[in-house]
Amino acid sequence: MASAADPVVEVTDLTKEYGSVTAVDGVSFEIRADEVFALVGPNGAGKTTTVEMLECLRSPTSGSATVMGHAVLEEARTVKEHIGVVPQAFDTFDRLTVRENVALARRMYDDGLAVDDVLDQLDIAEWADTRFGSLSGGLQQRTGIAMALVSDPAVLFLDEPTTGLDPAARRSTWRQIERLANLGTAVVLTTHYMEEVEELADRAALLVEGSIEAVDSVDALVDRYGGDVKLVVSRGGDGYDDEDGDAAEDEDGTGTDDGDAVEATLRAAATEVYRDDTGNLVGLFDDRETAQEAFGRVHRLEGNRSIQLTTAGMEDVFLRLVGAAVDRQGELQ
Amino acid sequence: MRRIRTLVVVLFKNWLRSREAVFFSLAFPIILLVIFSLVFAGGSAHFTIFVQNEDVGADGRPTNLSATFVESLAENDVFTVKRIDPGQNLSQWARESRSSGTKRVVVIPDGFAEQVRNGSAEARKAVIIDTIDRVDADINDSTRASIRQGLGRHGPNATNSTVPAEITFLTPSDDETGPAVRGILESHVATFNERALGVDQPPAAITTGTMNSRNLGAVDYYLPAFIATIVLINGVISVTSEVASFESDGTLKRLVATPLRKRDWILANVIQQSVLALVLAGVMVLVAHLAFGVTVIPGPLSIALVLLGAIAFSALGITLGSFIDDADAATSLGNAIAFPMMFLSGVFWEISLMPEYLQTVAELMPLYHFHRGLRRLMILGTTDGVALPFAILGVGAATFLALAVRVSEWQDLDG
Repeated sequence: MASAADPVVEVTDLTKEYGSVTAVDGVSFEIRADEVFALVGPNGAGKTTTVEMLECLRSPTSGSATVMGHAVLEEARTVKEHIGVVPQAFDTFDRLTVRENVALARRMYDDGLAVDDVLDQLDIAEWADTRFGSLSGGLQQRTGIAMALVSDPAVLFLDEPTTGLDPAARRSTWRQIERLANLGTAVVLTTHYMEEVEELADRAALLVEGSIEAVDSVDALVDRYGGDVKLVVSRGGDGYDDEDGDAAEDEDGTGTDDGDAVEATLRAAATEVYRDDTGNLVGLFDDRETAQEAFGRVHRLEGNRSIQLTTAGMEDVFLRLVGAAVDRQGELQ
Repeated sequence: MRRIRTLVVVLFKNWLRSREAVFFSLAFPIILLVIFSLVFAGGSAHFTIFVQNEDVGADGRPTNLSATFVESLAENDVFTVKRIDPGQNLSQWARESRSSGTKRVVVIPDGFAEQVRNGSAEARKAVIIDTIDRVDADINDSTRASIRQGLGRHGPNATNSTVPAEITFLTPSDDETGPAVRGILESHVATFNERALGVDQPPAAITTGTMNSRNLGAVDYYLPAFIATIVLINGVISVTSEVASFESDGTLKRLVATPLRKRDWILANVIQQSVLALVLAGVMVLVAHLAFGVTVIPGPLSIALVLLGAIAFSALGITLGSFIDDADAATSLGNAIAFPMMFLSGVFWEISLMPEYLQTVAELMPLYHFHRGLRRLMILGTTDGVALPFAILGVGAATFLALAVRVSEWQDLDG
């Protein structure tokens, strides 16, 4: 049994080329036992290709990767005995029940857990005799995790596990992943949802155009690249709608150019200014004092706007490193 | 083996729980069987023929022999005989006749009776002379010459001694059943000739013992072909669609990520289809037996041929399904392959009814050899001519299995 500090996955200069296109370009990282490791990036960044090489679904063009000390290329079958996989857009036999599908997965392995125990663990025993095709998206995702867990894997790969789920199902899936991490399974999570990374991941690698921009613990990444504090300026629920940089509406009738003034104020004080995916104007500050001064100035300019001082997060890290935010569909803005 | 067994069971459950799959696999062939059986359950075919007897005496009445010939035609259950006056212009009759249906005409020529008599006498003489030559070596040459001379006095006249009576059969150019009617007529004339020679018990005759002794009917004829067809449909349409669907919806990716090997996945599909083929064949035989009283029983070789067909066609289905990710497109491709093969391979009708070039095309199709082999084994109970179907399906199975392994996106990285 690997100790928490031992790497269960080791990746060195891993590259995947499709003709003249380099999908993954010499990435290197380690994943330790007991941690949730996130591969973060927009669509097309190479996240899925990277994990599919680790899952022995695709052969690398060059470089190497091991899982539990076994090479993914030369010892694929042994590697597969140690991993559990929930692929992106997961599906299984629709006309089989939850229990039958999990039992099918169990019988593909030499060793593993009792099917009913896994159903209990993931809180889906109630639907054990329901056909997979009749389940909601969230329950289907949990069935997929159960199928991946039933072999008692050392490493669990979850590729975009909450894409397409409603907020309640997403939170429920997060809770399951947290429970897995607490049970000692290394979880490799690929996602473009930054809040998912903040919620679940111990460490994260930012992947852009096939290359890793940064890899570290989430806290360290935020500390290093996100800044300490961010100031978010929004107009109620509608967000800050002066997206083209022109003058905002003159709502108070004073004729002042409020939007430009607010943005100029932020740019003068913040280390970084950007708009998030809901249109809010965001300023990042290295220290809380500067941020509070800026807060006061913006408040004087725009009393009717919603202004919030908050701690920076992965979205800010991503923006700082990549120069653009990722929208809900995973596309770079 | 545990993994393959598990997958076979899963694939079976998945099939059994799909109403559409069960319907197309099971009900469809039974419906076909019932329809074809009912269509052909009315007994033998029946044709109307018009007879113009030109062999009439001075009193205008038909000669005895020609009248006997026409009566014998009328006694044949296959024919309804209607008469046309002698001397009637047939082209004009064809234009003016109010009779519905196809106008097939048999013309008995003037001099029919005399020609038959002469031909019959000559034939009898030849038999007598041949008999004398063979049976009594002690008859001296002068006695033999006397007998020949005596027989010669009772022979035909010199002008038309051995010219056979030419019965003419006229049929419209668009009469599709003309060749069949002509064949029956030829058989009838042959019997008439035997009778004219006084042969009540023909020295040689074709018996249809295999068919008649087992009371085989139309259902028996169609059953082997429908079994072959359902094996084709399951393999080329259902498996193609299912495999493409598993690939496109991510089911296959989930399996690829387990220690399962590609060859096990392919093998499981082929085994499931083979067992399914046997089950469906059994159900069809049972239904045909209970509902239509068929007597054909598949023997070990028939079962082996069905299995080989199931392997070949399901491997083809896996190949096609692996090649095309989109399930709808894969189904369309399966239909485009299976349906022309069904209609061109002589499943529903004899390929001899098709143009010659299409007959050549039919013989290139594995389904043609599959159902021909099954018919030989199940209907005729013979192994003659089944080596080719076995060889073609065997080569097909090996080729398509190799292709399925090759075209599948599934990669076993460690070989």
